[in-house]
Amino acid sequence: MNLNEFVSEFNEKMTHHFDVTQTVYNAFQLCSGDMNPLHTDESFAKQKGFRERVMYGNILNGFVSYFIGECLPTKSVIIHSQDIVFKNPVYLNDNVLLEAVIDGVYESVNAIEFKFKFFNQNNKVIAKGHIQIGLL
Amino acid sequence: MDNKEILNQVQEIFRDILDEESIIITGDTTANDVEEWDSLTHIQLVVAIEKHFKIKFTSKEIVSWKNVGEMIDNINGKPK
Repeated sequence: MNLNEFVSEFNEKMTHHFDVTQTVYNAFQLCSGDMNPLHTDESFAKQKGFRERVMYGNILNGFVSYFIGECLPTKSVIIHSQDIVFKNPVYLNDNVLLEAVIDGVYESVNAIEFKFKFFNQNNKVIAKGHIQIGLL
Repeated sequence: MDNKEILNQVQEIFRDILDEESIIITGDTTANDVEEWDSLTHIQLVVAIEKHFKIKFTSKEIVSWKNVGEMIDNINGKPK
């Protein structure tokens, strides 16, 4: 698939829902080894002003990885770079929506930049950022 | 903007992308002269330059460059 075909198949916007389940939380904890009490200790999180344990924000980066690797019009892609800004906490069992739009097309190097936002089930933005991919 | 000013701005982009504050770029510089300038870095450099100068290159243009000087000429030749 070439760049023009990709852009026309992508349409204006792509979205995907993800659930922040106990399994996802456990898997990320195992992968990262991060046992910071904000993510593991209910009373610590409440003391710091959160309603419960805060989920690892970088779980969202895992969802970005799935989105790029599995949801795009072609699987012949590689992530060049990504950035993310966390706006609001994610909690266990949140259902989050990833919304991505094309923000730049670079024909010269066969690359595409997306900007994305994650929303929680209350339609609140929880994170936003950019991803640059290359078509292989 | 003359080629010297473009070269200065391109040098700042190289320093940022390559994380090498002391790098000196001239018109004769090629990828072989800069250790960190690999294929993935090349993509980041081209994208950053396109964004900075608000221009678009074609794939034919970038494969035709023999050195930084030819890239600078290409930037300078783009419609403003």
